[in-house]
Amino acid sequence: MSILEVNGLKKTYTTRFGGNKVEALKNVNFSVEEGEYVAIMGESGSGKTTLLNILAALDRPTGGKVILDGMDLSKIKESAVSAFRRDNLGFVFQEFNLLDTFSLEDNIYLPLVLAGKSYGEMHLKLDPIARELGIADLLKKYPYEVSGGQKQRAAVARAIITDPKLILADEPTGALDSKSTDELLRLFSHINEKGQTILMVTHSVKAASHAGRILFIKDGEVFHQIYRGDLSDSQLYQKISDTLTMIQTGGDER
Amino acid sequence: MRAGFYPKLAWNGITKNKRFYLPYILTCVGMVSMFYIVSFLSTSPLLLYMPGSETVSSTLNLGSWVIGAFSLLFLFYTNSFLMKRRKKEFGLYNILGMGKWNIGRILFWETIITVLISFVCGAVFGIALSKLAELCLVNVIRGDVDFSLTVSSDALISTLTLFSVIFLLIFLNDIRQIKFTNPAELLRSENAGEKPPKANWFLGIVGVLLLGGAYYIAITIEDPVSALVLFFVAVLMVIVGTYLVFISGSVMFCRILQKRKKYYYKPNHFISVSSMVYRMKRNGAGLAPICILATMVLVMISSTASLYFGSESSFAIRYPRDFTINVNFMDIEDMNDENISSLRDSIGGVAEDNDASQTDVIEYRWASVSGLLDGNEMETDVSNVDFTIDMINDTTIVYFIPLSDYNRMMNKNETLGEDEVLVYTVRSSFDEDNFIIKQGNSFEKIYNVKNKLSDFTISGDAAMGFYPSVYIVVPDFASAVAPLSELLDYNGNEMVSLRWFYGFNTDVPTEKHAEMETEIFTAIGNVAEDIESAHGFSCESREEESVSYYSTFGGLFFLGALLSVVFIFAAVLIIYYKQTSEGYEDQARFEIMQKVGMTKKEIRKSINSQLLTVFFLPLIFSAMHLAFSFPIIRKILLLFNLNDVFLFAVTTVICFICFALLYTFVYRITSNSYYAIVSGQKRRRNQ
Repeated sequence: MSILEVNGLKKTYTTRFGGNKVEALKNVNFSVEEGEYVAIMGESGSGKTTLLNILAALDRPTGGKVILDGMDLSKIKESAVSAFRRDNLGFVFQEFNLLDTFSLEDNIYLPLVLAGKSYGEMHLKLDPIARELGIADLLKKYPYEVSGGQKQRAAVARAIITDPKLILADEPTGALDSKSTDELLRLFSHINEKGQTILMVTHSVKAASHAGRILFIKDGEVFHQIYRGDLSDSQLYQKISDTLTMIQTGGDER
Repeated sequence: MRAGFYPKLAWNGITKNKRFYLPYILTCVGMVSMFYIVSFLSTSPLLLYMPGSETVSSTLNLGSWVIGAFSLLFLFYTNSFLMKRRKKEFGLYNILGMGKWNIGRILFWETIITVLISFVCGAVFGIALSKLAELCLVNVIRGDVDFSLTVSSDALISTLTLFSVIFLLIFLNDIRQIKFTNPAELLRSENAGEKPPKANWFLGIVGVLLLGGAYYIAITIEDPVSALVLFFVAVLMVIVGTYLVFISGSVMFCRILQKRKKYYYKPNHFISVSSMVYRMKRNGAGLAPICILATMVLVMISSTASLYFGSESSFAIRYPRDFTINVNFMDIEDMNDENISSLRDSIGGVAEDNDASQTDVIEYRWASVSGLLDGNEMETDVSNVDFTIDMINDTTIVYFIPLSDYNRMMNKNETLGEDEVLVYTVRSSFDEDNFIIKQGNSFEKIYNVKNKLSDFTISGDAAMGFYPSVYIVVPDFASAVAPLSELLDYNGNEMVSLRWFYGFNTDVPTEKHAEMETEIFTAIGNVAEDIESAHGFSCESREEESVSYYSTFGGLFFLGALLSVVFIFAAVLIIYYKQTSEGYEDQARFEIMQKVGMTKKEIRKSINSQLLTVFFLPLIFSAMHLAFSFPIIRKILLLFNLNDVFLFAVTTVICFICFALLYTFVYRITSNSYYAIVSGQKRRRNQ
């Protein structure tokens, strides 16, 4: 069964002084199976961020449906949206979004604290995750004391500590150097192997080449998709590059 | 480069950042005008028309310096917010090829513009408000006060000097910050993570010690006037102590809370405590002034209100009837029935001429002597005892009243043996069998107490003092009082004062009271002339006296209220500034929290619990300061003849409650604006 279904998604923005309407998403359809690792690629302005915001329930679509694990996002009440997000989704952002008032440990605990978990329970959960992500020694440090890669790993820990149904990653490698990028992508593959569903928005070919399936968005529609199949990372990398070139040069479909 | 380029750039910088600049300039204007008003009032000639003008003046003077110190701290604090925002822009200029020297020039012009606006607006507001204040004050004092209302150049000059120095320091500090950071850092500075403050145990403990020391002084100080220096030291200690406690003590406290995992990891506490650690350190500069200002407001308003309301109740005792007449005698023999009745008749004559009724007549003779009461012995020569201000409470006045006058006034029919007396006490207790008046070893007279009276209406001068009093009703006035004429004070004068008191109400319209007062005065004068030892007399109309009586304390009360308004204004300004500037700062933080899965409701709750703690901490501290300043203020009020502790306590509590309500009101409004800023995130995201 699909964990995420997106049907006929539409989003139209009206500019502030009325008049012009901008169609960010025209008609987006796709689904994600449980345990999949999907990358969504597209140029700036293709509607990636809008799509992600709608999936994250941060924004409401103009039309169409998003169904996460059988639940229609548009049917969730405004007041319950945050709790829903907290319980079902994990987020990794380009700019980390760690709170500088908290140590890394407390940053990771934040969603659990909000869910009303006890300290003992949280501590038990954090222990294996921290070791897996290699941040066990950094937990007492504050965001300003650690590197970008370490911050992003803490953010990943924060995302997965709630056992979310789906992790949404928005350009997770965008602010990282190449070494940290490699580490993070390895980490994503690793947690995906353990069964975590991941949906990543990126325009880094390298990041996308770690995914199991790549969706290409252009002008508010899913334009194309490729599956990894038996390809290795580097082969997939080549295939994505080719596809992008094709899209950019305006080549024929498929 | 063209002339006027930098001023233009600076002006642009200000208008483009008006969201941050406007509150900053408002704060500057407020501080300037506040300092001017207070220093103006401290030198105002109007003060001379008030009781205790010297105390008021020196307190105001101290107050103006306290405000000066606050201005320095607070403007630095507000400016640091501003600079954090501006650095990005300067970084951009720097990267685009503008040297730090050029940025310095922009900053210089921005400072000049700020200073000009602050000075002009601040001076205009200050002068306008202080004139308004003066006019009201003249009105309250009902002064036919003859002097022109002027701008105090002294106050203006000291205001301009002080703030020039403050702005110069701020400017230098800004330059320093620009100089020692590279462009890339400047660009990023707005988003740069901030170090969590370390709890500074040393400063925190010093703060607590200072507060403790100041409290100790406040409680143990004996004479606030002679120990004025010590008093000011205590005030300074409170200020510095409060500051340190807010900066370090609060961080320490939050750290301790964070260590208690069960408490800390709860949705309500988690976010509040952690962001409070940050808040506190930076906001010590904002909260400490609020606390001090609140304390000053409370002290001023409660003490002046007590004086005012205290005067109202003592007025009723001092002037119990429409007309009160006092005649002083030197010789007890002259207080015979014949003389007294001719005095009485002369008053009656005036009343008849004016068709005035005489109702509720009180009339009695009394003799008084004062001394230090210890058990049943009263020592009349103070030089036989080591006198300190605390002994004010032991200083007692004894009033002798003839039994006949007592019985007539109270409608009683008491009888007394030759050596027996009846005793009634006010503001003291007396439970002995006899009462002894002595002077060293040279004089001693014993009165045997037959009974303690439970009820006795006394009024007029005899009831006015704030000293404890003992009323002794004697069977024969002349024989009981005559021996006391041996008592001499250190000037060799007789200590006993003898007086006849007469008071009555009348149905004559109040407009005619002044006229009748004069007539009675003349009539009594004619009679008193023929009595050899009648050496002073007075006739007072309650109507006439009320004017001057209220105006003195009314003026003081008004001054207290005025300063309170000024200080509250300053406190509100600080609160407003804190809320808006922090709102913008916390915007990003709450945005993240919402992404991570916090509901708006939870955010609101967390904001409330934070603001509540942050905001009510100053209130709690000011309540504490007020409680500890209570004894010292009580002693100062004693100098103003106010000895009604209960009245003072009640007034203080009422003032505190009113202030707390007002504070809550301000808090509500500003926390709403804070919330509006913090949750206005969507708009910002899409920009």
